[in-house]
Amino acid sequence: MAKKISEKCYIHLNGRAIGHVADPLAFVSEVRSARRKGAISGEVNIAYMSRLNVIHINTDRGRVRKPYIIVEDGKSKLTKELLDKLQKKEIEFNYLIRAGALEFLDAEEEENALVAISESDITPKTTHLEVDPTMIFGLTINTAPYPESNNLARHLMFASYIKQAQGLYATNFNLRFDSRAYILFYPQAPLITTTAYETLKFSNHASGQNFVIALSTQYGYNKQDAVVVSKGAVDRGLGRSMFYKTYSDEERRYPGGQKDVFKMPPATTDGYLGEHAYAKLSDDGIIEPELDVEEGDVLVGKVAPPRFLEENLGAGGLEEKTRDDSIVVKPGEKGVVDRVIFTESPGATKIVKVRVRGIRVPEVGDKFGSRHGQKGVISQVVPNEDMPFTESGIVPDLLLNPHGIPGRMTFGHLLETLSAKAASLKGSKIDGTAFAQTGKERMDDYTKILEAYGFDKHGEEQLYDGVTGRPFKAKIFTGIVYYNRLYHMVSNKMQVRSRGSVQILTHQPTEGKARQGGLRFGEMERDVLVAYGASLLLKERMLDQSDKWPVLICNDCGSFGYRDYAKKLNVCPLCGGSNLTEVEISYAFKLLLDEIRSLHIRPRIGLNE
Amino acid sequence: MAKKIDISTKVQQGEPVGVIAAQSIGEPGTQMILKTFHFAGIAATITTSGLPRIVELLDAKKIPTTPFSSIYLMDEAKKDFVKADQIAKKINEVRVNDISRRILENFSNGKIRIVLDKQALEAVDLTPSQVAARISKAYELDAAATPEGNVEISTHTKVLKDIRSISVKLMHALVSGVAGAGKAVVTQSKTTGEFYIESAGSNIELMLPIDGIDKAKIYTNDVFEMYKVLGIEAARNVLAKELKETFDGQGININERHVLLVADAMTSRGHIESIGRHGLVGSKESVFARAAFEETVKHLINAAAFGETDFMRGVTENILVGKQIPLGTGVVKLAVKKQDVEKKSKK
Repeated sequence: MAKKISEKCYIHLNGRAIGHVADPLAFVSEVRSARRKGAISGEVNIAYMSRLNVIHINTDRGRVRKPYIIVEDGKSKLTKELLDKLQKKEIEFNYLIRAGALEFLDAEEEENALVAISESDITPKTTHLEVDPTMIFGLTINTAPYPESNNLARHLMFASYIKQAQGLYATNFNLRFDSRAYILFYPQAPLITTTAYETLKFSNHASGQNFVIALSTQYGYNKQDAVVVSKGAVDRGLGRSMFYKTYSDEERRYPGGQKDVFKMPPATTDGYLGEHAYAKLSDDGIIEPELDVEEGDVLVGKVAPPRFLEENLGAGGLEEKTRDDSIVVKPGEKGVVDRVIFTESPGATKIVKVRVRGIRVPEVGDKFGSRHGQKGVISQVVPNEDMPFTESGIVPDLLLNPHGIPGRMTFGHLLETLSAKAASLKGSKIDGTAFAQTGKERMDDYTKILEAYGFDKHGEEQLYDGVTGRPFKAKIFTGIVYYNRLYHMVSNKMQVRSRGSVQILTHQPTEGKARQGGLRFGEMERDVLVAYGASLLLKERMLDQSDKWPVLICNDCGSFGYRDYAKKLNVCPLCGGSNLTEVEISYAFKLLLDEIRSLHIRPRIGLNE
Repeated sequence: MAKKIDISTKVQQGEPVGVIAAQSIGEPGTQMILKTFHFAGIAATITTSGLPRIVELLDAKKIPTTPFSSIYLMDEAKKDFVKADQIAKKINEVRVNDISRRILENFSNGKIRIVLDKQALEAVDLTPSQVAARISKAYELDAAATPEGNVEISTHTKVLKDIRSISVKLMHALVSGVAGAGKAVVTQSKTTGEFYIESAGSNIELMLPIDGIDKAKIYTNDVFEMYKVLGIEAARNVLAKELKETFDGQGININERHVLLVADAMTSRGHIESIGRHGLVGSKESVFARAAFEETVKHLINAAAFGETDFMRGVTENILVGKQIPLGTGVVKLAVKKQDVEKKSKK
């Protein structure tokens, strides 16, 4: 009985069983040929799951589909004639689908397909052919040069770096009020492009620059992922970018008819920040464009009603109390007010947006990434005269550590270094599309160009130490690589604290940059000091620099007491005695005892000595 | 010279050896993989390894996931495979299930017939009559070998339920060997070339009386069994050895002293304690130290109910209140106190 059921091949249309067939393979091929003829919609996909003996037909929306060239009897259906016609623009892409040369497959139907990557890979069993061999990479990766020469993991890293690249993200950036925006000063089109890059017209809004690099160590300053950058190049605008930040505020309305008001806050407001903070505001309480601002400066003066209502009750004739709720430039930030706009919310309340801009010159700690998943952090900005130079006087912009290459297997990085050098000499871009040429063809081309311009064919050059003027013992691989400046910049992240605010509940220092916080000295860090036996250092960290709290403890009954300053006496409220000792405990411990007391449990502290 | 090094490497007063051991084991321990790959080999040699084994040992699990014992042999047997194999057969655990094809119950005459697997029977060197004798002795049943080489048991009852319950019991009846010993296989040592027995189970209490085995060298990876049979010192040695070998097996090199400290701590009270809230940490003296670890509420409530006192002698509780910890530089105290000096000078 059970066997008979599984013999039937059920058909699911968009997940719903609608019937069964005796010969699934014949049925599937019939549906497919009908689709290729145009008898049924080209959006229908059919897949036979041989293991489950089930057919899935999908016609619903939301499926990701990819075009493939149909292969029948070991021959591509996209014939030479069709290609010629396409090139002459006699026919268009959709014609190919109607002609049964191409079809779209969804994820399920792909399981039934045997796809050849290139025409030479076709075997009698092949059912489809990739439109182009580069299709095995995604769109993003195809914008990188020579992806076929790189380790797969590096592609993924490139894909995540390119998302963080600063460039020209929108040509109307000057009119936009994005909360954060990064604009590269001098974006360049890469010397090595790819078909995908050109098709996307990425060079119209490029996100990087061509850096002259040398694969050389610099007195150990570029070990690991560190890179050394020439100050000369930085001064000439290499990697320079603008950072825009928008502060925005609204005149909110509150229940009870109260509302916020944009104005110069009067000195009587609660939380008044002091006259100097408001000095840059104009009469309407809002800052003017092109004013230099830094931390602590008020951008928009705002006066808000008190947070709690009771304060105003009963005080009939008195002036209403107000609270200062101005926008202040965050600690560690500075720049120039770029633009100020007024607008209105749907609820007809007034909105102010203030955009502050600041130049971000590459500095120690800023991050860069090439198109081969190779990131680097500036470790030193070397004066131009101290940088190594070539015989012809070229000073590299960036020094990359050669140890970063072999382990990561980013051969494409080396290939780009070489070919971009050739491209810069030749004066035209070079194509780096995947599989466009073989490695040998490429090397032959590039070496020929380099030799023609009098350079070493392998890109190696004699470099001289900028500090001593002596030639390096080894010839050094020098060339050009397209680098992206990524938005992780120290000036936006750096933070310090020595003393500062504490949390109300625990009296321990606050956490996080926005709250001027400290770095948590956690459990494992604590264990390290314990293991070292540094008991006083540990006490300093955990108590003196944290939540130290003096308490009076009754020597007789062990409960907390207080100091009566009028009588100049220590008092124990429980036993009434005045024999108390002052000790320092952590506020967290005091809090614990308080909470235990609130559960009607009485903890007592006994003191020695 | 040797003496000099000896003194200089000695642990000093107040050295937090426990924390150092914890860190020294914990840090490389993070690299341990959860699942380990096994290599093809004899079934008996596959034991739990890696992190699961470490967890099992530190949690003081009563029965190991894969018990395993090595039985070393005395003079003659360790050089003679045949003699070693004879001992192995005494140990090798054989149950009715292992040597039978099926068990047939005849409810009309109340007889149960065990159809023996002749090949399996030969492999363990047993005859049907031996099987029958063993069953009749152990279960006080009338069992006899049949001419076809099977075993027939008369139950003297016709109650269906009783017959079934007897036959189920028979399936797991021990025919020969030591209960719990598992498959015992003679193995040749790669280093000495001597024969010894490896078994995929352990019951050293019953293995020890067997003639020809080296009672001093018998080993099991079951810490609790070692404790039960040979005492706490043996259990401590097994614990340390198992921990060390598990780390070594993962390519993690930890100084033996750290592992020994853990084993000492777990056995120092005369019985095996786990590391955790049911063991070492749960039996800490300080209320605060226990509450800071796990089950905070339970410890605080009990402390309140029984009026416990925290003497502030440990590390955790002193950090909590903000006192100097009694370790490292914190163990040093003034022998003569300021007040005492003042008192004396007054006199």
